[in-house]
This record gives sequence, C-alpha cells and structure tokens, in this order.
Amino acid sequence: MKGRAAYLASRVGWALLTIFVVVTFNFLLFRILPGDPARNVSKDPRLTPATVAALTVRFGLDKPVLINTESGNPFDSQYFIYLGSLTRGDLGISYAFRDRSVGELLGGALVNTLWLILPAQILSIGLGMVLGLLAAWRRGRSLDVSALTFSLFMWSLPTFFLGIILLFAGSSWFGLPTAGRITVGAEFGSYWEELADIGRHLLMPTLAFTLVLLGEYMLIMRSSVVEVFSEDYILTAKAKGLTTFQIIRDHALRNAMLPMVTLIAINLGFTVSGAIQIESVFSWPGLGSLTVSAVRDRDYPVLQGAFLLLAIAVVIANLLADLVYGWLDPRVSEA
Amino acid sequence: MRSSRTVLVPALAALSIIVAACTSSSPSGSATPSGSVAPVSGGTVRIGIGGFPDSLNPGNGLLTESYTLYELVYDTPIGLTPEGDFVPELAKSWTVSDDGLTWSVELIDNAVFHDGTPLTAEDLKYSLELYRDTPEFPYQPAYPDVFTDIAVVDATHLTITLEDAIGNFESRMVFMYVLPKHIWEQVEDPVAFQNEEMIGSGAFKFVESEQGQFTRLAANKDWWAGAPNIDEVIFQTYDNADARVAALVNGDIDMITEFPNTAVTALRNAENVEVVVADPVSGSLSDIIPNIVEPENCPVDEGGVCSGHPAVLDVQVRRALATGMDKQQIIDVVLLGLGSPGLSMVPRGLGDFFASDVSDYPYDPAAANGLLDAAGYADSDGDGIRECLADQDCPTGDLTFRFNYPDDSDSSPRVADMLKGMWEEIGIKIEIQALDPDTLTSVCCPTFDFDLILWGWGSDPDPAFLLGVALCDEIPYGFSETGYCNPDYDELYTRQGVEPDHAARVAIVHEMQQILVDDVVYIIPYYEASTQAYRSDRFTGWVTGPTTIGLEDPSSLAVISKVQ
Repeated sequence: MKGRAAYLASRVGWALLTIFVVVTFNFLLFRILPGDPARNVSKDPRLTPATVAALTVRFGLDKPVLINTESGNPFDSQYFIYLGSLTRGDLGISYAFRDRSVGELLGGALVNTLWLILPAQILSIGLGMVLGLLAAWRRGRSLDVSALTFSLFMWSLPTFFLGIILLFAGSSWFGLPTAGRITVGAEFGSYWEELADIGRHLLMPTLAFTLVLLGEYMLIMRSSVVEVFSEDYILTAKAKGLTTFQIIRDHALRNAMLPMVTLIAINLGFTVSGAIQIESVFSWPGLGSLTVSAVRDRDYPVLQGAFLLLAIAVVIANLLADLVYGWLDPRVSEA
Repeated sequence: MRSSRTVLVPALAALSIIVAACTSSSPSGSATPSGSVAPVSGGTVRIGIGGFPDSLNPGNGLLTESYTLYELVYDTPIGLTPEGDFVPELAKSWTVSDDGLTWSVELIDNAVFHDGTPLTAEDLKYSLELYRDTPEFPYQPAYPDVFTDIAVVDATHLTITLEDAIGNFESRMVFMYVLPKHIWEQVEDPVAFQNEEMIGSGAFKFVESEQGQFTRLAANKDWWAGAPNIDEVIFQTYDNADARVAALVNGDIDMITEFPNTAVTALRNAENVEVVVADPVSGSLSDIIPNIVEPENCPVDEGGVCSGHPAVLDVQVRRALATGMDKQQIIDVVLLGLGSPGLSMVPRGLGDFFASDVSDYPYDPAAANGLLDAAGYADSDGDGIRECLADQDCPTGDLTFRFNYPDDSDSSPRVADMLKGMWEEIGIKIEIQALDPDTLTSVCCPTFDFDLILWGWGSDPDPAFLLGVALCDEIPYGFSETGYCNPDYDELYTRQGVEPDHAARVAIVHEMQQILVDDVVYIIPYYEASTQAYRSDRFTGWVTGPTTIGLEDPSSLAVISKVQ
C-alpha cells in the first residue's frame, strides 16, 4: 500500500514540475519571436507612435523580460509579474481584445470546445472499441475486412475535407445549420427545445470529429485484441470450455485495454487543440480558433494561457493514464 | 466489461440527444416565397460576416466588423455615405471662422440615447476629448488630435478651436461616435471598459452578443431620423467563407458582406440572390514597395541597415518595372476581374481625391526594355538578366532583386509568380520569399533590409493618412516603407493639411499623386473591388449603385423592409 502512495505522490510531483517548466518555456518562447506586439496591433497609418508607446506600457512590455537590473527591485520584470499574477489565477489582459481578460476568453472557448469534443470522443472511443473487438473476433472474415477498410479510409481522410463535405451535405440535404452553436434569436419553449437546437448544430461537427477519431481507436483496439487472443491463457480458457463472451469479458478485454488507455490519454490532451480544423470549418468558437487568431495577433497573454491550459490537459490526462495503468496492471505501481 | 459499459452509456445518451435534435423544427427565419413585392414592417435580417467585432468599446475597435456595429449603434456628428459623401448626421451644420481656426457646430435637438437621456453638446465634447486624450485607443486619437479646445456654448452648440487650420474637418468627424457622458464618466479606465450595455443613439440598439458567434441588435423605433422598418439585425460569424456562401444560397441568412471572388459566378446564377460589386470607400490597399532610401537618409540609430539593391534606387529601373507589369492580367487572374488597375496611394474608392487626371505607365514590355537599354543596363553575359552599371555595387552584379510578401496573404503568391514571368521579359529577375508579417516588419522599416516587398495598408476615407507614409519624417519611425524623401512632396502635404477649400485641396492631393507616380515611389498593382450579396426574396430596398457598397451600413439597414 505504501508503494502505491509513493507512486501517486511521485506522479503528481512530476506533473507539477512539468507544468512549471511549461509555464517558463512558454513565457520565453513567445518573447524570442521577432516583432513588437504593440506595433503589430495593426498595419495602419492611424496607429501613431504615441499610441504604440502607450500600448507598450499597458501591455507591461516596457519592463525587462527576466530580471530588472535597473530599478531597485529585481522582481519588477515581465516574468515575475506574470508568475505573480498566475498564482492569483490572473492570466492577464488580451492584446488583441484589449478590454477582455484572458481568463474570460479562454473560459468561454473551453466550454465550447468541450461541447464539441466530449460527445465526439465518447462516441469514437465507444464505437472504436466495439468495432475493433468485433473485427478482432471475426478476424479475416468479411466483417473484419470491411471494418478495417472503413477505419483506414476515415483515418487517412483530411479532417477539413471531411468537414466541408459533411457541412454541405448536412445543409443542403437535411437543412442543418451551417455555423455556430445555437440558432440566434430563436424563441425556445423549453430547455429541451434549446438542447435540441444545440444538437442540430452539433450533429455534423460531432459526426466529422467522431469519424476522424474512430479509425485510430478501432485499429489499435483490433490489433491489441488480436494479440491477446494469441496468448496461451486464452487457449487455456477455451480449453476450460468458457464461451467466447466469457473469454472476452474476463480475460481478453482488461489486457487489451492497456494500449487503448495510452492512446485515449494522449488524444484527450491533444483533442483540445486538435479540434482546430473542425472548429474552423463549422465556425465553432472554441479554443482552437482562439489559439490560431492569437498566434496571428501575437497575443502573448492568450497564447500563454491557452498553452498552459493545453499543458495542464496533457499532464492530467497522462497522470490519469498512469493511475489507470496501475489499476489495470498492478505490476506497474508495484515496480 | 465494467469500463466499456461506463463509456457506452454516455455515448448512447449523446447519440439520443443528436437524433432527437434531427427531428426538431427548423430555425425561425425560414424562407418566404417570392411573389408580390409589398414592403411591410418587421422581420429579422440575418447577416453572415467573416469575423467578429473585437470590442464593443468604440475606442478599442480595430476590425471592420467592430466599426460596422458602431455605425449602427452610435451616431456621429457627420456621416459618410457608402458613395463617399459627407452628410449631416448629429451636426445640423458646421462653419469655420475666416482664419480657419474656430469651427462652430450646431447639433440637432431631438437625438436621444437608447436609455432615454437626451444627447447634447456636452456628450459630443466629452467624446471628442476622451478619444483625443486616450492614447491607448488605437485609431481614434488620430482624428481629434488637432482639436486644442472644445467648448460647449449651449445644449446644441459647440465650438472647436485649432492651432492650425485643417482641410479635412469632415473626415475627422465621421468616426467620432458620440458616447453618453453620464455613463462613460463613471468609468474608471476607459480602455478596460467592455461597454457591455453599449448605449448609443443610433438606429439600432445593442441586445446581446456571444464572443466569436453572433451580435444581435434591435431596431431603435424612436430614432431621430425615423424608425427602421425591420425589427432586428443579427450578425452571425462564419469563419469559413464557403459555408457563408452556402448559407446565403440555402437561405439561412439574408446577406453576406464578403466572400471569395471565386463564388461570384455561382452566386450570380443562384436563385433569388443579387451580387453587388463596387470600390469601397475605405478599403485596403495593395502595393509594391521599392527600397529607395538614400544612404544619407538611412536611419542608423533606429536600426537602419539600408541594404537595398542599388538599381532599385534608379528611377528608370522602377519605371521599367512599372511599364513591364501587365496590371490587367493580374486583375483578371488573381481577382477574377473584380478590380481596377492601381495608380497611386489614393484608391479609386476615395472619390474626387483619386487622381483620375494622372496617367499610369501603360503595359509595354518593349518600352520597358527601351528604358533599361537607354539607362545602360545591358545583358552582357547573355544569361537573360541585365547587368548592373559599373558604378553600382550590386550583390550579384546583375538585376536580381529580393521580393518578399507576407505569408498570411492569399493573393500574393500568385501575384509574385506572375510578376516574375513579366519582369523576366525585361531582363529583371526576382527571388521570391514569403515572410511572416513580423519578420517582414523587421526587414522592412526602419531597417530597409529588402529590395521589393508586396504588401498593403488599411485605408481611411481621407487621403492624408496614406499620403503621409511617404514623408521624410516618417523614415526613422517606420511608417515610411520606401524611404522616399522629397521636400517638395512634404511641402505639398503640409499645404493640403491646412487648405480649407475642398477643390483646392483636391488639386494639391492630385499633384502629390503625380509626384508619387513620376518617381515610382510605390507600384500599385490594383485596387480590389468589394463584393456583397443579398437575397432578393426576403428584404427589399437595399441601397446599391455602381459606386455604392455598404449593405451593412445604416443607410441600407434603416430603410429596407420585408418582402411580403
């Protein structure tokens, strides 16, 4: 039991250290890039030198980057001010939207992204696992071949292309909306009607995202189950006279799940950013599109915030994977 | 099995929501059949736009989408029509003293803010001073910066005192959105103020907006200029231009403000869709920047490198570049014909300021070759590229120029490729490289570490801002991209700034454009036309014309009415 607690503590410690390193790295990375965010606000002759100077001060870019060697206080620098605000949960003010805080922008975008990726992830994991299992079970038969072909095709299809095709098909054949999260200005009689409207908007983006993710899950699940099926203990189980269902449930699935957990953990972290193409095709105002516009505008605070969020998502997903591993395969936490 | 069951249950729940959604009713703005055209009041106009307003605070806005919103929600002292004419709005009249230093403005007396408070001269004074004295506002301070003193005479009269006379009082007033003083004076930091109520006095009231998705406005039925016929305007953001076009064709939306030129034919053929094409009053300008900073003007203290190709400094070479460029072909290929040949820094959309009397270099490769031959640039080694003159210290010894453009531009790669082919015909080679806009800024100005750049500017209804980038004083700061310095030009710039007579000012502005063309300070490939489209079966009365573009402007939205 002590082993498990130490395992947990070391994982959490590493996770925190990783996040701190990411925070520092992100901070420095954006400041190495060429260009002046205050001048980059716009290429327009109306943006006078006085305005650029005033914005530089407002953005805090008039201060030294790492350590203030000029004034008496060495911590009066961009880096330490950023760390200080971060501990208070303040991510700063956006450079592109100068009257909005980064927390407000990221919060709204994150909620929208979760609306999009959660159903798609759940559907694709579920369907991918079932398809993979069926394909492995019926290995070499027509079911396997068609599931495999379908998954490989979907996996290799460019996301934006599939998105555009579904967008046009949905709007011209089924009258589905072409943009946004909800019908603006519509009067909803009840919460269910509103939910149904959101569902109509979600249908095609979710379908596109599910299809794109599905292939990978199915392929990994299939190969993983096929491998387990060739183990001696499966032969033993068969010899004991267990049904195929019992073999899958009690012997195959838990062992076949290990590579799946890794894949799900990696994907959960990265789907936050991976939804960029879907978001852009379906005009979905999520984290992906916010990050893209922040890169274009050299919006350091939003980028720092978005990358921090991304780092936390990846780290937490990995931490969860480590913990689930320990549960699925007790050898991991005891080692 | 445990883990897979817990995964499947929410998945099925999600699926059932989506399936239920499929069977629900269609959105409220469903199509009305076209038939008898009888205007009636009411209705919601849905407009598809490419972006989203970056701020509800008129001081902070940068994007076109923001200014579209301000125009609808706020009033300004003087209006600008989509044709480019200045018209009275809140200001009934404006007159200037004989010395040109005092302007008297008389306001209408029946303007009321959306919260019911009357709009007075105090509100205008407050707004002008706020814009003038808040340097963090990106664009607004540049307009009232010369108003040294603003005094309220009574509720409808105001005087504005200047240090020097100006020739562009009207254009300085068209973006001065009048804010309610009683709300804004409570605000501690106007730059951080989100202005979520957005109380103005304009034709439409702000209702709600959701970041990156939509903005919803309701008609101001008590508007002083007359109630709009429609009830509501919804701006919906479509990141994807093809989706925006599809939404118009399907009837999800009633109008779109911008779309790719490739969609024009499809939209013209679509049922119940009308396409509008015209030169915008303040569109963006595309230009080719030659590095012509003279060594003695190199801003070394500001980081000037001034490594431009010596032959680009030779005006004959620049004239040959301009003469060897088939602008019409570029327009036909890149813009699919939706544009006009460029001339100078003043776009065609700026009305009489555009120098229609100045003639451009007509496309003539033989004449361009003649210019280069006469100037002494010969292809002595027979490789197809002309050699530099003996006294020029060229990096490669011949007329090989670096050619850069920003990598976020869709049209630039094709323009660059076409220019490469055209200029090869006259013995000039360009080495094309796309650069990130920040990197481009750092090689451009005031560094002057380039030969030619294809780039552009945002534009203003007044020509002064764009003409100002060619002044000597702008070289160290970085507005001057070419490094051009001509005291005669600077003198004319000063004169147009203080010339109160419009016709006289127009003449000076034309003379300045003649200088820019003669000295080939910029090469302007084209002026791109703007495109908009609307559904003719939904609303009628859109204001259009051969030189009019601005369906999203109050001049259209306040007068259109539903098709019965």
